[in-house]
Amino acid sequence: MELLRVENVTKRYAAHTALDDVSLSIPEGSVYGLLGPNGAGKTTLIRIINRITAPDAGRVFLGGRELRPDDIYRIGYLPEERGLYKKMRVGEQAVYFARLKGLSRREAVVRLRVWFEKFGIMPWWDKKVAELSKGMAQKVQFIVTVLHRPQLLIFDEPFSGFDPINANLLKDEILELSRGGATVIFSTHNMASVEEICDHITLINKSRNILTGRVEEIRHAHGDNIYRIDFAGDKAALEADLTGRCQLLPLDEESQLYSSLVVRLASRDDVRGVLARVNERVEVRNFREVIPSMNDIFINAVNGKL
Amino acid sequence: MGNGRIGAIIGREFNYHVRRRSFIIGTILMPLLMVGLMVAPILLTSVRTDGEKVVVVIDRSGQIAPQLHGEGRIRFEPTDRPLEEVKTPGRSDIYGILVIGADIESRPSDLTLYTYGPSTPETESAITRQVREIIEAGKLRAYEIDNLPQIMREIETPVSLQAFRVDETGGERASSSLLSMGSAYLFGFLVYLFVFMYGAMVLQGVIEEKSSKVLEIMVSSVRPFELMMGKIVGIGLVAVTQFLIWMVLIAVLGTVALHLFAGPMAAGAGALGVVGGGVPPELANVDPKALAALRSVTDLAFLGKLFGGFIAYFVGGYLLYAAMFAAVGSAVDNVQDAQQLQVPITVPLLLSMIVLFSAMNDPQGPIAFWFSMIPFTSPIIMMARIPYGVPAWEVALSLVLLYASFVAMVWVASKIYRVGIFMYGKKPTLREMCKWIKYKY
Repeated sequence: MELLRVENVTKRYAAHTALDDVSLSIPEGSVYGLLGPNGAGKTTLIRIINRITAPDAGRVFLGGRELRPDDIYRIGYLPEERGLYKKMRVGEQAVYFARLKGLSRREAVVRLRVWFEKFGIMPWWDKKVAELSKGMAQKVQFIVTVLHRPQLLIFDEPFSGFDPINANLLKDEILELSRGGATVIFSTHNMASVEEICDHITLINKSRNILTGRVEEIRHAHGDNIYRIDFAGDKAALEADLTGRCQLLPLDEESQLYSSLVVRLASRDDVRGVLARVNERVEVRNFREVIPSMNDIFINAVNGKL
Repeated sequence: MGNGRIGAIIGREFNYHVRRRSFIIGTILMPLLMVGLMVAPILLTSVRTDGEKVVVVIDRSGQIAPQLHGEGRIRFEPTDRPLEEVKTPGRSDIYGILVIGADIESRPSDLTLYTYGPSTPETESAITRQVREIIEAGKLRAYEIDNLPQIMREIETPVSLQAFRVDETGGERASSSLLSMGSAYLFGFLVYLFVFMYGAMVLQGVIEEKSSKVLEIMVSSVRPFELMMGKIVGIGLVAVTQFLIWMVLIAVLGTVALHLFAGPMAAGAGALGVVGGGVPPELANVDPKALAALRSVTDLAFLGKLFGGFIAYFVGGYLLYAAMFAAVGSAVDNVQDAQQLQVPITVPLLLSMIVLFSAMNDPQGPIAFWFSMIPFTSPIIMMARIPYGVPAWEVALSLVLLYASFVAMVWVASKIYRVGIFMYGKKPTLREMCKWIKYKY
């Protein structure tokens, strides 16, 4: 079931094209990574989804019909650049933002108390924002983003500025929201977090969507038929045996300490043949495909090596 | 839903600014200062420092000294001793020594005053006046006219002018050119001050929101237009609140002060009718200019026009200028960068203050008329004309023009604003800002 569909969206500014015929489809309940180098057009796309700016061409659908002004309340957006009023009190400010999202003051206070307790920042309710640490301010911003229980959550680099412990806390909360039925869009450069959290991605480079799909499918699709074999037995004999059948790749230092080989096959069809040969010669402990990390795919894709 | 949001924005702006220390201090201090300025002169003249000023008089003519009489704190002490004997250094028991020449009648400049402290104009003029009157009286006596004092009394005629302005309905209204001029300047300046002060507050608020990136969090839930209007309206309400508090405080403090320090004047003001009738006999000897001013001040129709006009023109002028200030604020990252872009805003405001003076002197002239029609100057110039009386159609036309251009300006400003708030780094030129108006969003 698809929640958000972006159809052939183009956005031009005076000097450059920010988005060029970008389409994507975000399934309901997914955690969707929106990747791309700086200046690729991610933020513009997010702003179009948020109705902050309008596309020059193309359309955006939410829940099957074209985006309307009121859909704002179904979306929660945590921007990359974010701030709070420094001279306002924390609680008062959180209530204010909640009211801008359409919550009543009473409802806002009830929900905020739950979140403040959960994040352990209740003692800061009556403090001025200027007294908060950066991490604490970001917790407040996160709470404000999710407080009105939106169907669609958009996080732009949510972990930047967090220490590992708080980043983990935040990640768990995001996954919890996802389990609760929310659809999450992640815009990030942090590929490790993409592999950990996202199930789908779209890679935008130079204003275009250059790669889109399920994370596992993409990684497998970009596999280069490279396999790693861990074994017990005569390494030299095995190497001699495999020469000619497949390409032996240089090992990293760690692997050299063990009995391991990394090989590239001509095609996927060779797997059975090679594995049979290895099995004959040595005792196989482990035989697995080496699939590229999202980081490698990202770099290769951006550098045009795909 | 939309109203709730813009209400929340207005509420935040209002609460934030009203709670600021500068607002609280300004709101209380200003009326105290105004009333203080009103009361201080009365207080200063009524409270006399004690101690006499003894002036020793050496009258070589022998004609003047006997007729000199003490005046205020000055007391004259004729002496026969020579000057050298009296004029010893460092005397603190006397104020000074007056030496009147032997032939003072034919040589009236032969009059010398030695003082041990600073000499004051008040003392000097009292001495010259008395000596002059005594000599003149002596000369008059030389003509040997019978009943001279009685003739002089009969000749003396105090002339006073009571000005009334005939308005369109044929009714008469007390008018005082002095008061009209005073209120023209006061209210013209008040509009200028308020527009500038609160417009700058909008500018600072927008810059602060932009540079602290609070805007980024809000733009997804609120339209930039609502953000801008919420801020402008919220701060505008702060200004109106401050003005109303000022007026109430000034009225209360002023009444109290008048009753305390100038009882008879205040009572007289109360006794006067709204439309000028005859002068009550007990006030016959009060300065007629002050009387006319008092009559106008207590004229409710006059006051209504003044305050109604102020609210209408301040609000219109503020809205117009605040929209421009907001547009400039959205385009820059800090207050320093705003200075240059502010020029198109401050020039018409400053121009208004220059034109204000010529409008006060010739409130019906072409300069006053045209500048009170142009929306950028009309809030100040029309306020300078209203105390003198302005035809209703002129006020109506100028208000329509003012509010229409406010609507147009908000439209333009909101276009600039929504582009500007996402522009960081380079400070744009005015030309670039004009291009933003055409951006499609």
